[in-house]
Amino acid sequence: MAVAALWAGGGGSVDVPWAPVLDLRLELTLDGLGALYSLLAAGVGLAVFAYSARYLPLHLAHQGRHARDALLFYALLTLFMVSMIGLATAQDLILLFVFWDITAIASYFLIAFDRQEAASRWAALMALMVTGISAVALLIGALILYAEYGTFSLPLLFERMEAGTTVTVAAGLMAAAGLAKSAQAPLHFWLPRAMTAPTPVSAYLHSAAMVAAGVLLIGRLYPFVASSQLLLDCLLAIGALSIVVGGILALTRDDLKQVLAYSTISQYGYVVVMYGLGGAAGVVAASFYVIAHALAKSALFLTAGAVTEATGGERALTRLGGLARRLPLLAVASAIAVASVVALPLTAGFFGDELFFKAAVERGWPAAVAAVGAAALTFAYLARFWIGIFLGPLRSEAVNRLPALLVVPIAALAALLAVGGVWPGPIADLAGAAAESSLLAPASASVAYHLDLRAENLMALAAWALGATLVAAPVLWRAPALAFARLGERLGPERLYGKTLGALNRLSDRIHDIEVRDLRTRVAAVLLPGGILVALGFAATPTEGAYIAGAVTVDDLALVLVLTFVGAAAVAATRPRNQFVLVLTLAAVGFGLAAVYALAGAPDVALVAVLVETVVALLFLGAFALLPREALRREQTVAERPSRRWRDPLIATVSGLVVFVVVWGALSRPAPEASVAEDHIRLAESAHAKDVVTAIIADFRGLDTLGEVTVVAVALLGVAALLRRGRLA
Amino acid sequence: MTGTTVLTQAAARLLLAPILVISVAVLVNGYAHVGDGFSAGVIAALGLLLQYLAFGREHSDRLLRLALAPAAAFVGLLGALAVALVPLARGDAILTHSPAPGTDAIYIGRVELITAVAFDVTVYVLVIGCVVGFVRTMIRTDEEANSR
Repeated sequence: MAVAALWAGGGGSVDVPWAPVLDLRLELTLDGLGALYSLLAAGVGLAVFAYSARYLPLHLAHQGRHARDALLFYALLTLFMVSMIGLATAQDLILLFVFWDITAIASYFLIAFDRQEAASRWAALMALMVTGISAVALLIGALILYAEYGTFSLPLLFERMEAGTTVTVAAGLMAAAGLAKSAQAPLHFWLPRAMTAPTPVSAYLHSAAMVAAGVLLIGRLYPFVASSQLLLDCLLAIGALSIVVGGILALTRDDLKQVLAYSTISQYGYVVVMYGLGGAAGVVAASFYVIAHALAKSALFLTAGAVTEATGGERALTRLGGLARRLPLLAVASAIAVASVVALPLTAGFFGDELFFKAAVERGWPAAVAAVGAAALTFAYLARFWIGIFLGPLRSEAVNRLPALLVVPIAALAALLAVGGVWPGPIADLAGAAAESSLLAPASASVAYHLDLRAENLMALAAWALGATLVAAPVLWRAPALAFARLGERLGPERLYGKTLGALNRLSDRIHDIEVRDLRTRVAAVLLPGGILVALGFAATPTEGAYIAGAVTVDDLALVLVLTFVGAAAVAATRPRNQFVLVLTLAAVGFGLAAVYALAGAPDVALVAVLVETVVALLFLGAFALLPREALRREQTVAERPSRRWRDPLIATVSGLVVFVVVWGALSRPAPEASVAEDHIRLAESAHAKDVVTAIIADFRGLDTLGEVTVVAVALLGVAALLRRGRLA
Repeated sequence: MTGTTVLTQAAARLLLAPILVISVAVLVNGYAHVGDGFSAGVIAALGLLLQYLAFGREHSDRLLRLALAPAAAFVGLLGALAVALVPLARGDAILTHSPAPGTDAIYIGRVELITAVAFDVTVYVLVIGCVVGFVRTMIRTDEEANSR
């Protein structure tokens, strides 16, 4: 409501610096595109919320879960809605990315809402992986643009950009993220899996959020995309592929929600194709289509949920039928929704297809023929969906009466579609405004009924006729479509995803095995390559004057004595077999170094060194006390195994020598330029501090300290989780 | 508790108050002298752990309410975050301390009333809570393993 009011008032914008050092701004503008998707997110969200209020208690009762879990559901749905509105209005690429990822995270938890089901968790992870990994492409694209034009702000970027390879690469990466989110082939496979989510989630995910976010991104970045004909052609090809793959697979599915899921892939393929067609006509058509589709598709998903609820859990088309007499209102409402998607007159969807056909005709006859074929496919699978549920003999034994709240939201969405069919003005205005934001030029959607033989009307008639033929004669397509589906299962991208994930898992397990088998090997694996690399670096640098041995005077006697003690303690630390003796020897090294700090005029550091050394020794002893005696005894003999006799000392010597050379080299060359330390000393006075170290910790580098103390507190949680299953008391 | 003598217990009891006083002194003097919230916290925590050594966990927990240590750690963390984030409300950057550089601060003896010191105090509380919490968790684990 508020969004609608704000939009009617001419839109609004917020622009606040967020992290000015990083050049990030909270830049939100409610322009045409923002208004379109915000209205969808809020409007469809309202219907879904109303529906969930009745559906969710039933769902949770079926699953034997506590009714309190509903709170979590509403919180996540709200987060989803808010991040979607944020995404729609964001004018800054980084902000866009942040909202983008929030929608991914919210959808992860929503898809896995039935968390006791393994399939739900697998599906949620898949959705997160596909959309999350591709989101990195969005970030890379944004950074490329930033590197080139020095800003993340979209309006500024649109001003500064010049068509060229850089923009093409960046736009291509960002569009890829959008296509993955919109479940376009070949990254479409996550969407049908995500049907394991509760029905209201699917309805929302597939209409006004998540999947819509992908095309929203393409619409938002359209000026970049449109600067390259190659990208537009890619969009065209990917969209067309998605239409075909989604359409054919939708024909072969028996599960209600699966049919709708593949239908969504196919319908968003339409939108991508319309963007790919380019020009004002295509963009206007895409914007219009998104609205009509979102309303209709959410209504259809809610219908699927209501039907399943009414028949006591039935989800298969072949076991449903004849429900029109028992659920007349639902039948009519969903009929309007279906009619809108297949673009029958007197529904909003008709104009969507009219604009689509118009854009296709402008492109040329191959596009026009393909458009008719796509529309026929849509007609076929959605007619099959509706007829399968509502017509024919009644197959269900008992049909429950549906509560009003499960039907009213569907009826309301259908009513909107019907009103849009008679009075398309408001939707057309919104679509026009959205297209203006994408094109950065005036655009308007002019839609009306024309009772003549223009190309669009003939194409629509042809599509309906072809679609009706497909429905009437399944013989024509059944065998090839099923073969195609089987082929997809055997060789499709989903299989590749599973294999890649499995291989990565095995690789990670292997590395983990090697790593945890032996602590000494793990340390060696860091020290040896590190030592060799640094040594090579030193071998390549000139050594003249790099290593200075200063004079030793009588004043240094104390320092030399302490250092000798430290060296002796360090050598002694290589001997003991007993861990307790070892800890105490290492503590001796530490205390000796603390004395060195004190003698070198750094009392603050010395104090901290003493304290840290004490605590570390204590914690080591405590940890050893918790370990089984046999394990400790076994470890004591490791160093004496023949294979280790020479390896460990050798590695220690190499890395120790390299560190010695590094430190020597560094100390031989006092930095000539003024260091940060001098600034700190100078500033400490005005920061009310006489002790520079404390001023650095609490003031100059306060943010570091904040991060460090957070780590310490989290470590406490980690210890509690490891030792006592999270109990702190 | 094996291995503890009357002497250890007497020493631990006598030392507790001085150790805590020293830790507070190190804390409040942090801005003028050696030491800061971290060192002060570790000193106090070592003093408290000494009581575990001398009197055993249960007795010390009862006497000194040491079961609250993890809670103290997170109170400290929240306090640190609060001190860090308050300047945001005034439109400054995170962790902007007041009074601003160059202006006068109020002194109570040697203690300056500036927010940097408040930040240090939260670190102090957090460090005590964490160090005692680490050791206490270990002791509890050992107790449970032995009672089984």
